Amino acid sequence: MISIDNVSKHYGSFQVLTDCTTQVKKGEVIVVCGPSGSGKSTLIKCVNGLEPFQSGNIIVDGISVGDPKTNLSKLRSRVGMVFQHFELFPHMSITDNLSIAQEKVLGRNRDEARAKGLKLLERVGLKAHADKFPGQLSGGQQQRVAIARALCMDPICMLFDEPTSALDPEMINEVLDVMVELAQEGMTMMCVTHEMGFARKVANRVIFMDKGQIVEDDSKDAFFGAPRSERARQFLAKILQH
Amino acid sequence: MYDFDWSSIPGALPFLWDGMKISLEITVSAVIFGVVWGTLLAMMRLAPVKPLAWFAAGYVNLFRSIPLVMVLLWFFLIVPQLLRSFFNLDPNTDVRLTSAMIGFALFESAYYSEIIRAGIQSVPKGQVAAASALGMTYAQAMRLVVLPQAFRNMVPLLLTQAIVLFQDTSLVYMSALADFFGAAYKVGDRDGRLVELLLFAGAVYFFICFAASQLVRRYQKKLNAHVAH
Amino acid sequence: MNYQWNWGIFLSPAASGDSTYLGWMLSGLQTTVLLSLSAWAIALALGSLMGVLRTVPNKWLSGIASAYVEIFRNIPLLVQLFIWYFVLPELLPASLGDAFKQKLDPVTQQFVSAMVCLGFFTSARVCEQVRSGINSLPRGQKNAGLALGFTLPQTYRHVLLPMAFRLVVPPLTSEFLNIFKNSAVCSTIGLLELAAQGRQLVDYTAQPYESFIAVTLLYVLINVVVMTLMRHLENKTRVPGYLGGK
Repeated sequence: MISIDNVSKHYGSFQVLTDCTTQVKKGEVIVVCGPSGSGKSTLIKCVNGLEPFQSGNIIVDGISVGDPKTNLSKLRSRVGMVFQHFELFPHMSITDNLSIAQEKVLGRNRDEARAKGLKLLERVGLKAHADKFPGQLSGGQQQRVAIARALCMDPICMLFDEPTSALDPEMINEVLDVMVELAQEGMTMMCVTHEMGFARKVANRVIFMDKGQIVEDDSKDAFFGAPRSERARQFLAKILQH
Repeated sequence: MYDFDWSSIPGALPFLWDGMKISLEITVSAVIFGVVWGTLLAMMRLAPVKPLAWFAAGYVNLFRSIPLVMVLLWFFLIVPQLLRSFFNLDPNTDVRLTSAMIGFALFESAYYSEIIRAGIQSVPKGQVAAASALGMTYAQAMRLVVLPQAFRNMVPLLLTQAIVLFQDTSLVYMSALADFFGAAYKVGDRDGRLVELLLFAGAVYFFICFAASQLVRRYQKKLNAHVAH
Repeated sequence: MNYQWNWGIFLSPAASGDSTYLGWMLSGLQTTVLLSLSAWAIALALGSLMGVLRTVPNKWLSGIASAYVEIFRNIPLLVQLFIWYFVLPELLPASLGDAFKQKLDPVTQQFVSAMVCLGFFTSARVCEQVRSGINSLPRGQKNAGLALGFTLPQTYRHVLLPMAFRLVVPPLTSEFLNIFKNSAVCSTIGLLELAAQGRQLVDYTAQPYESFIAVTLLYVLINVVVMTLMRHLENKTRVPGYLGGK
């Protein structure tokens, strides 16, 4: 589904990503972790072309992301993405947040888009809030709406960029629960997150990044059982102290 | 197509330079007076004495809601008569430059006062409390603690306002006083070369103001880098 | 000093015969309002376009927009006005320039020059406000729009601009007020707007105080009306749960 092949990226002389290579198969859940500044967020943004990269290839569902001829908007409309800071549109009601892209990008009619939005809102447990504005919801609620907004587009896969790291601790679980459910239904997911509990529960593989490189790319059991690199061991030790 | 003829400019340069001196004189005097009077207005507005605050607010709001052109008309048409009758001046005394300077100074101080007020308010309240705790009076706290901090942050804004003021001095053209723009217009009118002289004046203003605003921008960057530490 | 106050002067018939001096004043007010509103329409349209261009990821487009801003910001309004009114008609191709000078009556010539001049002058300021509005939005908003499959223009249209415009209502209010004040500069090319009518009244009636006080008060009135309207707009466009909204 997603194939990342020797991707490198630099800002001026600063190397952000170095020769990153990995694959995500259909139905797989991949967790990407690593210390801050390790390039994991940049890597996931490269997957739907939000960040350009200088060399290597990324193929999503047979389409090359780096190819200048690729219609990126069309590709992005099929890849769901959830952001660290939710990024709901503050000037629109929840309903409009859910339906605007369905109408303007997919060309669905208004009723169809609204019905779909409501259905997914119900699924994340927020149907009662349909007419509110994002600023009136808690962080956890906003992030669940953001997940629903991405799902409205019937994505072929979902990208999560630190979806819980801007949340107060008591709200993290409500978001993770939605993500776990999604994983169990067979959604292809690539998640940048530090939530190792989530990784243990549903991940197929764990990728560990440091200084722009993929240091470990292993099955969940191998990663948690016996990480091969010293850096990954230190990282896990630190995470567990929290 | 229009036939350009720039030949009347070189000979007129000394006259234009005299005009520029008048523009600069008005600018500098209005900036100095504006900052001083503007600071006093800002302090009055923030002072705990209500009538002072009301006076300052009324002054600032009045001047900020009427056009500079209108203020200058007052000062060109009416104030000279007042001055003459008050000081028993000879009716032929030329008070236009003085009137212009006073008009600009009073007008600009309203704008300066707002910049300075925002600057003062940007200094954390704890600073005044700390100064009072040390036994300082309100005036001392302002002069020794608040204003020095406020001015540092305000300098770029004050300078930008000075550039705007310099551009606005061209409006003394209305009083037939030969500032830089008035001089350029007179030369162009005399030689039938208004097109060239107006374009020349525009170019001169542009280069001065553009260069000045670039300097301000650079200064601001330095200031920001300094504050970031 | 013994000045003879005479507020009744406004009701006496004006020198033109067909109106009172109050009528002159009101026609000046009308010109000021019409001029300012039409120039504001130009400023808002051009300024928004340039403001958007200053933020797009294309060096050429943003460079053009920033040159535009520098030019209109660093030349005095009076000089710009004279260039629009006296210089531009000379530089246009002969047929167009002559059409402007001969076919249009002087009042229309003055009005058009003044409107275009004020519009362009103010657009540079609107541009800077719109740009800073867009830049003050979280970077993730643009990414979120793009990630949903919006094109860049769609992202601006549906995501960035609606929020940016709400954020810049207060600074745009002050630009809107400025355009009324700056319109007084247009009296210098002979346009009979409010300030010019006040001046004319002084010449005709020899009652300078009454006419200047009246004109000054009318400008204050314009200010109050505009501020009230804009505050209303600000309240109306307030986003619930965001920036002081409920």
